[in-house]
Amino acid sequence: MIGFELSDEQKQFQALARTFAKETIIPVAAHHDREESYPEEVVRQAHEVGLLNVSVPEAVGGLGLSMLDEAIIAEELGYGCMGIYTILMASELGIMPLLLAATPEQQARFLAPLLEGPKLAAFALSEPNNGSDAGGLRTRAVFDGDEIVISGTKTWISNGGIADFTVVFATYEPELKHRGTVAVVVEHDRPGLSCNKLHGKLGQRASPTYEMVFDDVRVPIGNMLGEKGDGFKIAMRTLDKTRIPVAAGAVGVLRRALDESRAYALEREAFGQPIARFQAIQFKLADMKIALETARWQTWHAAWLADSGRPHAEAAAIAKAYASDAAFAAAQEAINVFGGYGYMNEYPVEKLMRDVKLNQIYEGTNEIQRVVIARHVLQ
Amino acid sequence: MKIITVLKQVPDAEARIRAGSGGVELDGVTFVIDGMDEYGVEEAIRLREAGHDVEIVALALGPARYEEAIRTALALGADRAVHVETDVELDPIAQARVLAEVVRQEGADLVFVGGKQADWDSAALGPALAEVLGWPHSDWTTELKLAGGALEVRHDTDDGQESLTLPLPAVVTTQQGLNEPRYPTLPNIMKAKRKELAKRSLDELGGAQPLTRVVAQEIQTRERRGRIIEGDAASAAAELVRLLRDEAKVL
Amino acid sequence: MILIVTAAVNGSLPKSALELVTVARELAGGAPVAAAVVGPEAAAAQLAGYVPQVRSLQAPELEPLRAEALTTAAQQVAAELGANTVVMSANRLGQSVAPRLAVRLGAALLEDVIAVSTDGGLRAKRYSYLARVTETVEVAGGGATVVTVKPNVFPLPEAQPGGSVAPFAPTFGAQDTRVTVGERSAAAGGRVKLEEAKAVVAGGRGLGSAEAFDQLVEPLADALGAGIAATRAVVDAGWRPYAEQVGQTGKSVAPDLYLALGISGAVQHLSGMNRSKVIVAVNKDADAPIFKIVDYGIVGDVAQVAPAIAAALEESQGS
Repeated sequence: MIGFELSDEQKQFQALARTFAKETIIPVAAHHDREESYPEEVVRQAHEVGLLNVSVPEAVGGLGLSMLDEAIIAEELGYGCMGIYTILMASELGIMPLLLAATPEQQARFLAPLLEGPKLAAFALSEPNNGSDAGGLRTRAVFDGDEIVISGTKTWISNGGIADFTVVFATYEPELKHRGTVAVVVEHDRPGLSCNKLHGKLGQRASPTYEMVFDDVRVPIGNMLGEKGDGFKIAMRTLDKTRIPVAAGAVGVLRRALDESRAYALEREAFGQPIARFQAIQFKLADMKIALETARWQTWHAAWLADSGRPHAEAAAIAKAYASDAAFAAAQEAINVFGGYGYMNEYPVEKLMRDVKLNQIYEGTNEIQRVVIARHVLQ
Repeated sequence: MKIITVLKQVPDAEARIRAGSGGVELDGVTFVIDGMDEYGVEEAIRLREAGHDVEIVALALGPARYEEAIRTALALGADRAVHVETDVELDPIAQARVLAEVVRQEGADLVFVGGKQADWDSAALGPALAEVLGWPHSDWTTELKLAGGALEVRHDTDDGQESLTLPLPAVVTTQQGLNEPRYPTLPNIMKAKRKELAKRSLDELGGAQPLTRVVAQEIQTRERRGRIIEGDAASAAAELVRLLRDEAKVL
Repeated sequence: MILIVTAAVNGSLPKSALELVTVARELAGGAPVAAAVVGPEAAAAQLAGYVPQVRSLQAPELEPLRAEALTTAAQQVAAELGANTVVMSANRLGQSVAPRLAVRLGAALLEDVIAVSTDGGLRAKRYSYLARVTETVEVAGGGATVVTVKPNVFPLPEAQPGGSVAPFAPTFGAQDTRVTVGERSAAAGGRVKLEEAKAVVAGGRGLGSAEAFDQLVEPLADALGAGIAATRAVVDAGWRPYAEQVGQTGKSVAPDLYLALGISGAVQHLSGMNRSKVIVAVNKDADAPIFKIVDYGIVGDVAQVAPAIAAALEESQGS
C-alpha cells in the first residue's frame, strides 16, 4: 500500500511556508530582482520562524526535517521567489555534506552555531574551468602537519560571500582524479579567503552568487569531512539529495505560472469574452497542470526514497530535470498567455522564466541529469 | 489562571466556494483555523508573556478535520487541547451548551471566542456561551488588560467604542485589531506534536439537539456591469456621473 | 405574540426599529404584535404608531445599555406578554443580546436574517461564508424563537396609528450590572448614518493618509449626501473612527450606491458591502480585486479622480 496524505504536521509546514511566501517574500521579490539586492530582512525572518537551515539534526539542536518536509516547504518558497528561496536552499546544500560525512563533534562545531542567527552555509564545487566534471578539480588542498592549505578559485557559489562557512572540494593529488579529492569546511574568518559578488545574472537576482578566491587558506585538519579521497563521493552523494529541493522549487515556480496564467485568462477579454474561453489558452493551462502534478509527485517520490534510505540518485535526477524543464516551459507559456504584458517586468511571469532557467543548470545541468539517468537505464 | 480559546476551522477566505443541490460543497477546499480565533490564542499568549501565570487550552467542537486547526493553535502556543469530535451540525446556541460543559469541567477563568465565524457569519457563539455559563462578556474586543481579578477592555459598539470592566470569569469575543497574531514557527509546530490533544464525545457531555437546521444554500450572485471607464480623470469622472444618472439611475 | 425589542438612539427611534415592524408583521400572520422600547417614552410613542401594544422601558440599570440588563428586561416583557417570538435588530447590541435571550428562553436563534417566511414552519434567509452564500434556515422544533434582522434590508411598514404605550419596570439582579461601562467614544455626528445611507463613500489605505482621506472622501460624501465608510486597515491606522468600518468585523451595508476609493477589496471588506446595488471603485491598481465586483471602475490616481467626480456631480446637479 502507498499513502498520499501529508501528515498534519507537514500540512502545517506547508501552511506556514505558504503564508511566509505570501506575506514576506512576494511583496519584496520584484524589488530585489530589479536591484540585484540581498533580501536580508527576509532571511532574518525566515530564521525567526524556523524556515532556515531546517535540515540541521535534532542532536545538535536543529529540527532535523526530512527531505520530504524540505520539498514541501521548497515548493511554497519557490512559488514566492525562486531567487530568494535559493539562498535558503544553498545553505541546506552547504549543510548536507556534514549530514553525510561529519563526525558528531564536527556537526556540533559547525552546525549548532548556524542556529543562533540568520546564518548561512555554502557549498563550493564549481570552478571557472570546471563545472559538472567534479573529477577535474584544480583547487588544491596541501596537507601541512596539522593543517590543510587551500588555494585556488571557486565560482558561481551561492551565498559564498555571506556564509559563515563553506564546504570546499579540492584535490590533494590531481593524478588520482576524483579519488584524490577532499571535502573541507572553511570558516569565513580564515585569512586568505576573499569573495567577489558576481553581477549580471539573468534571473534569481536576489540570490547573491560569488567567486571565492583561496589564497593559501589554512584550516585545521579536523575540518576535513570523512577521509582523504572521500571528497568526490561526498559531493556526489550531497547532490543526489539536494537536487530534490531544486526540483521542488521548480514545482513552486510551475504552480505560480499556472496560478498567474489562470487568473489573467479569466480576467483578460478578447473578442468579447475572457481568453480562458479559448481552447488555445485552455490547452496551455491544462498542460501546465499536467506538468505540475507529474513534477510534484516525482519530486515527493524521490524525497520519500531518500528519507527511507533507498537508492534515490536516479529518481532525484528525473525530478530535477523534469521539474525544471517543465517549469521553464510553463513560465514561457505563461508569458504567451499574458501576451505583451507578459514581456514586461511589471507582471510577474517573465521573472518566473528568468529565475527557473537556473534550476535547469545548477546542482548538475539537466544534461548531466540525463547522463545519470541513462547510466541507470543501461546498467 | 486557565484560559480557554475556542476554535473553529473554516474555509480559507480566499477559497472558491461552490454550491450544489446539497448546499455548499467543501470537497477540496483548503481549511484553516478561523482568523478570528487566532486573535484569541495570540491574546492568551500575550497575557502569559506579560507575566501572568496562565494555562492555555484550545477547545474545538467539530468533525475530525478540525484537528489540523487545533494543531495550529498548539503550534501558536496553546498548552493543550480538547476536541469534541462530532459530525453533527449544531447551531451556535446548541454548540454553546456543549462548550460550556467543557469550560465548567476545566474550571476556566477566561474564554476567548472569535467575534464572527467566517463560515456561519455568526456572532452568536460568544454571548450564548457566556449566558449558558452565567458569565459576563465583552464582544468585538479591540483591547484587553488583566487588572487584579478583573478585565479591562475596549470594544466596538454600534456608534463607536466603549471601555468596560468585567469581573472574571468572563467570555471575550475577539476581532481584527485586538493584536497581530504571530506565525506558528517551525520549531513550535514540531513541539505541538507532543502536546496533549484530548478527544471528547458529544454523548459524554450530555448530547446536543440542534434548534435550527440549514435547509438550502446557494451562492450569492449579483450581475455586475464590470465596466472600466477609460480616459483622463475629468472625462472619466463625467462619464461615471452620466452612467450613474442615466444607466444605473442611482443619482 | 411577536415581540419587538429595540432601543432608542440619541432619544429617538432608529429606522431599523421600523424595519422590525415589517418583519414582525410577516411573522405574525395576523397574530398580535407588541414592542418593548428602551429609552424615552417619546420613542415608545413613535412605535405605537405602528404596533398596538408598546412597553416603554426606563430604568437606571438600562443606562448605559448593557447586554445582560437588556436580556433580563426583554425576557420579562416576553413573559408578561406571553410572546414566543422576539425580533431584534442585528446591530452590535442585538447580536450581543439575542443569543443570551435565546439561551434564557430555550429558544432557537435566527440570526441576521434578510427574509422570513412562515409557510410550513418558520424559515429565514441569511448570508454565510463571508456573505458569499445565501442560506435558508428553518427552526427545528417549532418552539420559541429569537430573530435578529439585518438592518437596511426590509422596507418600512405602513403606519397603524392608535397603539397604546404602557411603562414597564423590569426587576434586575446583581449580574445585570456587574459590567461597568467607562469612557465611550461615539462617532462624529452630523452625517447620515452609515447603515441607513442611500449612498456610501468608502475609503481604504490607498488614500495614503488621514488627511487625504478627509480631503478626498468628505467632499464627495457631501456632494452625494452619502454616509462615510472605511476599511479595517483605515480604522486600525486611526484615520477614521471604528463606527465607520465596513466589513466582516464592522458594519454590513447595502446602499444604492457604494463608491470605493483606494480600496483593494479584501474578501473581509467585500463581505460587508457586496450586496450594494451599484458598486463603483477608483483604484490605481488595475488588478485590485475590487474591480471584479464593480459596476463601474476607474483605474487611476484617487487624488485626481475623486475631486473630478465631485466636480462632475456638481455640474450635473447644476444643469
